[in-house]
Amino acid sequence: MNCISDSDQGVSRRRLLAAALALPGVCASNQALAQHHHAQTAIKTVADFDAAVWQRLLREGPRPAAYVFTTTYCSTCPAVFELLHDMLRAAKARAELAAVVMDAQGERALVHAHHYRGVTRLYAFNGFEPEIRHAVDPKWRNVTPYVVLLDRQGRDQRVIGPPDAARLKAWLA
Amino acid sequence: MVRRGQAWGRWLLVLTLVLGAAGALAQQPPRAPRPQLATGVAFAPDGRLWLTGLDAQGRLFVQSAPAQDLQAWSAPRLLDTTGDVIAADGENRPKLAFGPHGQVVLSYTQPRARPYTGWIRMLRSMDGGQSFSAPFTVHADRQEITHRFESIAFDAQGVLHTVWIDKRDLEAAPKTGKKSSYRGAAIYRNESRDGGASFGPDTKVADHSCECCRIALAPGADGQLRALWRHVFEPNVRDHAFAALASGAPVLRASFDGWQVDACPHHGPGLALADDGGFHAVWFGIRQEQGEDVAAVRYTRLNADGSPHLHTVRELPDEAAEHADVLAAGARVAVVWRSVEGARSTLRAWLSNDGGQTFRLQVLAQVQGDNDHPRLAQQGERMVVVWRTTQEVQVHELHF
Repeated sequence: MNCISDSDQGVSRRRLLAAALALPGVCASNQALAQHHHAQTAIKTVADFDAAVWQRLLREGPRPAAYVFTTTYCSTCPAVFELLHDMLRAAKARAELAAVVMDAQGERALVHAHHYRGVTRLYAFNGFEPEIRHAVDPKWRNVTPYVVLLDRQGRDQRVIGPPDAARLKAWLA
Repeated sequence: MVRRGQAWGRWLLVLTLVLGAAGALAQQPPRAPRPQLATGVAFAPDGRLWLTGLDAQGRLFVQSAPAQDLQAWSAPRLLDTTGDVIAADGENRPKLAFGPHGQVVLSYTQPRARPYTGWIRMLRSMDGGQSFSAPFTVHADRQEITHRFESIAFDAQGVLHTVWIDKRDLEAAPKTGKKSSYRGAAIYRNESRDGGASFGPDTKVADHSCECCRIALAPGADGQLRALWRHVFEPNVRDHAFAALASGAPVLRASFDGWQVDACPHHGPGLALADDGGFHAVWFGIRQEQGEDVAAVRYTRLNADGSPHLHTVRELPDEAAEHADVLAAGARVAVVWRSVEGARSTLRAWLSNDGGQTFRLQVLAQVQGDNDHPRLAQQGERMVVVWRTTQEVQVHELHF
């Protein structure tokens, strides 16, 4: 007998639907990729970053915010996330802590997210890297980490490497 | 049964709609894949100019142009890399070098699964590049750690040298919390006396290099190779160091910007032999001048031992200059770089006929869109700049 009961049908439909929604390519594949590599990371999506996105973030993005521009080869960058995360915890403050990955496109950036402690949002450059970098700061020569701190009023501080205590204090004032 | 069939049909319709909607959400506008344009170039002994890089599918290829028409590139020829992922972005790039007896070697960094890790791989030809071996790993150490940013060159005796950035010492050093007590990475090297068929042991050139900048190699007046790399001097100064690629050679400081920073410049130096036995060097750095941080690519003359003539230090005449490199033949010196302003990239050369005492600036080309750093090649007096864009590979012969 191939027929199934109504009650069996209900269970099977739900299972089928759940299984269907879990199909690779239906759920965001970047999520699966990130979970595969590092289940502990909370970041499951990555947003494209270009000059227009940056202008929008400066104009109407979250405040306060820290944007840490990083690369997949930058071994000095994770320490900046730790510094910012620890500082926010110590100050009991909430802020956007965004990682902007410059050399990995789209979902490829997700596998590096677990290096970025406390990160709240992940961006990845989409376009010619020097052109986007020029839009962020014409004087910036791709040294990473490059950190932009936006305070509650949207005023920015820009620094290569870890921001010092005075800059961090001004950021959250 | 009919009613059950209709119910199933409805469910399948709902499922199709859900799948379609979810699929539509997942299907964001397609991104154009980022081109990996970083290339290596070199002249073959017969005067042909060779280039290696990755195609749009990430496959390694070589092509060449005849000495009498360097614009006439042959069709790209794919090489079998047995599925290796190859780093070809910015200062990571495939490279090639020609040996004295028909040997051609082609190297690249293969990123490993763990972040910041890589192995240096090489393909070898014994017939002038007509055929290549399968790729093999160059270093003896097989830990899944950093072995990256390799440079390769044959010296005047035909010995193949491979030099790279290596983190085995950092990995082995004691940690304070999660942080290693080891400063930076290290420079390692090995030698092959049979054109890449076999290699000597990995030996350390220096502790405490910077982690992700290319290493410049140039022959000295004695034909022995010298290396210039970004170093991490105590306590945390990212200036440059110089050493001969020989056992026990001293390491000298070659730049004095005094740039103290916990950051990755990803911006390695250039080095070329000068006619007096010293060297021409270019590098990027940030130095304090009158209380201000001044970022610039700078040029200087080095003595034969790598110590700088500090009075010769000068900035390139372009504050947007990036990834400069240098070539020299006798009194002729060429410093070449790229600068990017918005969508426009400009290729510039700074040319000297008097050993680097005076220079004249020349714009070689401008393009819109993605492009590689300029790559320099030299055969005797002949110097060329190769610039790969998404549309073409430009070759600019340098005229002094």
